[in-house]
Amino acid sequence: MKHDARPQRWRITRRGFLIGLGLVGGGLALGATLGLPAARLALADLLGDGAGPPASFPKEPAIWFAIQPDGRVVMAMPKVEMGQGVHTALAQLAAEELGVAWEQMSVAQSSSLGPVRDPAGTSASYSVMGLFGVIRETAATLREMLRAAGAERLGIAEAEIAQGFVIDPAHPARRIGFGELVAQPREWTAPAEAAPLTPPDRWRIIGQPVPRLDLPAKVRGEAIYGYDARVEGMLYGAVARPPRLGAKLRRAAPGTALSRPGVVQVVIRDGFAGVVAESRLTAYAALNDLELEWELPPPFTHRDLEERLAAQAGSGTIIQQRGDAIATLRGTQVIEATYRTPLAAHANLEPQAALVDVQPDRVRAWVSTQSPVQVAESIATTLGRAADTVEVTPTYLGGGFGRKLLITAANEAAILSAAAGKPVHVGWTRTEEFRHSYLRPPTYATFRAALDGQGAIIALEQRHASGNVLFDFIPAPLRWLLGSDFGAWRGARLVYHIPNLLVTSQTVELPVPTGPWRGLGLLANVFAVESFIDELAHTAGVDPLEFRLRHLPDSELGQRFRATLLAVAEMAGWREPAPEGRARGIACSVDMNTVAAHVAEVGYAGDKLRVYRVWAAVDPGLAINPDGLAAQTEGGIMMGLSATLFEQVTISEGRIEAGNFDRYPLLTIADAPEVTVQILRSGDQPFGGGEPPMGPIAAAVANALFALTGERKRSLPLG
Amino acid sequence: MELTINGQRYTVADEPARPLLYVLRDELGLTGTKFGCGAGICGACTVHVNGVATRSCQTMIATLAGAQVTTIEGLADGEQLHPVQQAFLELQVPQCGWCMSGQMMAAAALLAENPNPTHEEMIAAMRYNYCRCGSYARIARAVMRAAELMKEGAA
Repeated sequence: MKHDARPQRWRITRRGFLIGLGLVGGGLALGATLGLPAARLALADLLGDGAGPPASFPKEPAIWFAIQPDGRVVMAMPKVEMGQGVHTALAQLAAEELGVAWEQMSVAQSSSLGPVRDPAGTSASYSVMGLFGVIRETAATLREMLRAAGAERLGIAEAEIAQGFVIDPAHPARRIGFGELVAQPREWTAPAEAAPLTPPDRWRIIGQPVPRLDLPAKVRGEAIYGYDARVEGMLYGAVARPPRLGAKLRRAAPGTALSRPGVVQVVIRDGFAGVVAESRLTAYAALNDLELEWELPPPFTHRDLEERLAAQAGSGTIIQQRGDAIATLRGTQVIEATYRTPLAAHANLEPQAALVDVQPDRVRAWVSTQSPVQVAESIATTLGRAADTVEVTPTYLGGGFGRKLLITAANEAAILSAAAGKPVHVGWTRTEEFRHSYLRPPTYATFRAALDGQGAIIALEQRHASGNVLFDFIPAPLRWLLGSDFGAWRGARLVYHIPNLLVTSQTVELPVPTGPWRGLGLLANVFAVESFIDELAHTAGVDPLEFRLRHLPDSELGQRFRATLLAVAEMAGWREPAPEGRARGIACSVDMNTVAAHVAEVGYAGDKLRVYRVWAAVDPGLAINPDGLAAQTEGGIMMGLSATLFEQVTISEGRIEAGNFDRYPLLTIADAPEVTVQILRSGDQPFGGGEPPMGPIAAAVANALFALTGERKRSLPLG
Repeated sequence: MELTINGQRYTVADEPARPLLYVLRDELGLTGTKFGCGAGICGACTVHVNGVATRSCQTMIATLAGAQVTTIEGLADGEQLHPVQQAFLELQVPQCGWCMSGQMMAAAALLAENPNPTHEEMIAAMRYNYCRCGSYARIARAVMRAAELMKEGAA
């Protein structure tokens, strides 16, 4: 994974490109920085061919390619691969504009120190939409540099490019491969003009379902994840956990741990007690040998948290407002409902894991993380080291789902490695993962609405409350400015045209750590909103699809909703009756500008609620890899169904009850419905892919259940 | 004691109460077999013991004297992927991939015993392997596709 092929020096061009010369192995590297202010760019220009960029200049570009003498293109990956197919999709963007064959592309994961640093991390379904422009622009620039060099070598004015060759159009047999071009010493300069991008009607690779780059290793069991990271001489660590959420370690002593064979060291420092041993089993067994005294906070249950939300839901900040909902609702017949969702776990099948090697002058770490730069900073703070001496290389992730943004295990491994003077691996058990992770927060939303004589919504008020989702990642002054956690209310705003609308959201501090779960608030909030819309449709006596269509705004987004809803209705045969004993429900959502609509078909198998079929239409603008997006949609639906039907974290006496899957069962293949996905295209720009397609599933199922039984379920889980 | 894994003999420390999973991953460096729950529930650690799909986190090495253990690293025949691996690749099944060694080992054991499973038999064999990414629809198709590939290969 370590990337050694770094340019010896960078040249900075006027357009903000960094061109690497004298690459190890005789290749050429080109990078581009993101969002660099013009003033700093000008400053950088002053350096010309000097010793390198000034200290204030990002040492490394945000996009980085190296063309090797054999013609292969290595793209340094700023984003991590957790199963969402991002490495493949980003490489597709590059291959398209470079003019190389897909088979020439390969990727190398960047570490926290480069070649491409990514302080943002891999989250929020933002990778493809955020990098769509800059990757193509950088690749196109490199292509034009190669074209100019190739034309010069061929002695022609205009050269063509195909499959990694510069070609003489008059004599197509006269051609030079990119690898041969970069192997020759040459003064490389970036073009003065912006390189033209390939128009969509000539795309060869964008929009194609190319096979994922990471799968050959994954089917052979050869892909390396954080839990698998191994180096010579490494030891294993385990850390004592509090018996109750929020408990503080008051006193700790090694007890008999050091006399247990295989124990190397007991590490006790402020609020921390851990063991380093020759094997993981020994390290965990030795935790029982420690003498520990905990200071216990007052006990609580998950019901206490729900009550806290209910008590504070009325007093949130306004997140959507039109007309005067409160006044309009006064004196009319009001339809009211309250929706709840529980605490939920990520249940990523690879628990958090890190291998950290603390050396006197530097720290190396291999971590299953969505945000290597943040983890590196966290390790540096923990150890009191300079951040640029800590290199975190992200591995493949065995599931991320928002859980792997902050990796406590990395700090723990760092503390233990610093004490032991050896590399230490910390890999959490399932019980630690269940009981000591941050969770999806509970939500609570009350709705009041009124219909006019034609069955149109004239006013709607939603009072939403949730625990933290992103607030723990945001500095306090910004939190104050924002008023409420925008991650928590993702999906809570309504797309429909309602003349009098008020939505507020209250962020509630809870004594249990909560944070981002796949889609943040999306699944929970769309469950509430789209269930309530369904209630209004039934109250109005209008078909739920028709009711939604009538309320869509006359806007581009409204048109995309209309097309997506009609597509899923067509796929599901919405206007035909469901098979005997079954019923269908429909719901839709928008997230990261991707529109999704689902129809679920449910029934009872004995006394067990079954979801038999799900149809999904998704409009992501443009799907870079339609099969990859279909896989994300199928997977998001399954994960969302698991949460819809089964999942709930319960707390008793301040302790999370589930310590393993026996108390927190997930959806299995036996529960899985048949899923049919259609990917729509509404433009030439990609929007979010990993999370948005799952948005409607809980509401679609709840709405189908109402259609089946006539009983409205307003809290998750439903099963 | 001696263990036979993927046809190769290994001498490992004689601690009979150790689960096979930890010996594979931490002692022998065979990290293709994954830890998921440590309680025999999720299926990520599934290997074959004498051809039978077995939870390696619940299998003490003392029970393995004379047994043939196969892990994901031993499923392919050198460069030639096992039909289950071919089908999982062809249908682009894995997402994060963490559960996939267990999924493929469960599928391979099923097809070795029952080369022509019905949908219900396939579900019955695969239902004890969790996939949190939710690739179940593709797993189901891939196991049936692997059965086809095995038939084609045998023909």
